[in-house]
Amino acid sequence: MRFECRGLTFTYPEADKPVLENLNFSMAAPGFNAVFGPSGVGKTSFARILAGGNNGPGGDALIYEGISTILYSYNQERLPGWSCTGSHLEKVCPPKNSDLRKELIKIFKVDAFLGSRFSQLSMGQQNRMNLIRYLIQDFDLLILDESLANVDEALRETIVLAIKEIFPTKLFLYISHNLMEVARFCKDILVLSHPGKGKGAVVVQGQNYKTGYTATPQAIDRSMLEIMNAV
Amino acid sequence: MLFRRIYQFLIVYCLGVTGLLAIKYGAGLSNYVIPGLALIFDTAHRMLAGYFLDVLNTLSVTVLGQMISIFMAFFVGIIGRKSSWAGSFIKVMAYNIQAYPIVALAPIIFILMGDGFLSRLLIASMICYFPLLLSVLGIMASPIKDIEHFYIATGRMRWQLEVKIRAFENLNKLTTVIAGSSTLAMAGTIVAEFIAADQGIGYSIRIALYQSDLACILVALFSIGIIISVYQGILETVGEQMKNKWFTPKGGDLI
Repeated sequence: MRFECRGLTFTYPEADKPVLENLNFSMAAPGFNAVFGPSGVGKTSFARILAGGNNGPGGDALIYEGISTILYSYNQERLPGWSCTGSHLEKVCPPKNSDLRKELIKIFKVDAFLGSRFSQLSMGQQNRMNLIRYLIQDFDLLILDESLANVDEALRETIVLAIKEIFPTKLFLYISHNLMEVARFCKDILVLSHPGKGKGAVVVQGQNYKTGYTATPQAIDRSMLEIMNAV
Repeated sequence: MLFRRIYQFLIVYCLGVTGLLAIKYGAGLSNYVIPGLALIFDTAHRMLAGYFLDVLNTLSVTVLGQMISIFMAFFVGIIGRKSSWAGSFIKVMAYNIQAYPIVALAPIIFILMGDGFLSRLLIASMICYFPLLLSVLGIMASPIKDIEHFYIATGRMRWQLEVKIRAFENLNKLTTVIAGSSTLAMAGTIVAEFIAADQGIGYSIRIALYQSDLACILVALFSIGIIISVYQGILETVGEQMKNKWFTPKGGDLI
């Protein structure tokens, strides 16, 4: 299970310059990979193009092998407000994933507000609730675009490690501005820089920590430095 | 909500009558041109009960006409919400037809269908249909991307869910438009009765007009105003209750 970008260039219809220019790289499953880059570099555009599959704006430049279901979650999504979040989760959960839903509810620490409406939750709680409903779906590739924004660092670490443990065969693409987090927990990190810099896309290896890891500060520093140099 | 509507109407009505009386006494006009307070009270005493029944008759047609127009507006709005050829065609049609004054078509309706209930009903529903349709079309054709994305991506989106999401997110707009359209429906019915009908408050106003009896017209306006205020107040209260029922948490804790 892998996907590959061959010379992906994308320009918005109204724009005169491309947002993505000649991206060439590949990523293989399983793994928790990342897309990193400064604001406005085109991370979200890239994620949306990727989620569109090869029928979307990416067209022939995207090659998927063994990936049929791609889901894209982002941090401003909302659940409908006419009933409580717990009820929404139940409704969208395939019956076979019912146990998974219960497990994720515990890990994500959302059980206390399953009876509340989405609009009553804080942004971090909303993001966790939203991510759970994606994780209980069937997918091959899940793109998480700032999906854990506004969640405190300790819980975010618990969640990322749990996702890696619960979904060992799936491919994840994590979009975050948190350099340290990306360097610690991700396997392949696609670093995007602004088009025209002549750098293209660079894939840097992260530390890919799993549950029970022992941190090696020098290795993390090295990964972070590599990422910063690639931007 | 209900009482606010009524007292707001009473303030406006009293200001209007005061203005008329100021003109009467300022210009020294006779009771024949502008009736005095005593004549207005005397007319009210004689005619108010009958006019109330007439207004209720008009209101029954109004309510039915409004229900038909709401149903039609949602039906067409739901069909026309897609950016397909059919959806675009419906939208263009709706935007262009609403520019035409529907009241101007009333004589055609009366020639073809004659006086009576059906003509009144048709005009009432047509008058409030287009403003409603434009609002419903606008609401139904605007995706709520932050909510709909998940359902589209996971293949769960059905037209019923799409309509439910968009209606829920725009409930305030919808209730305001529906309450506001009641005035239009009432106006449509009164116009229909005024042009050609033998029932309703519009017909009574026409008789008063032929008799040049301004006191009767003022009393008729009072009864129309009171009843339409009550009706609008009820619609707004129902809308408010619907919002509360949908928006208020059931049992959950406030985080």
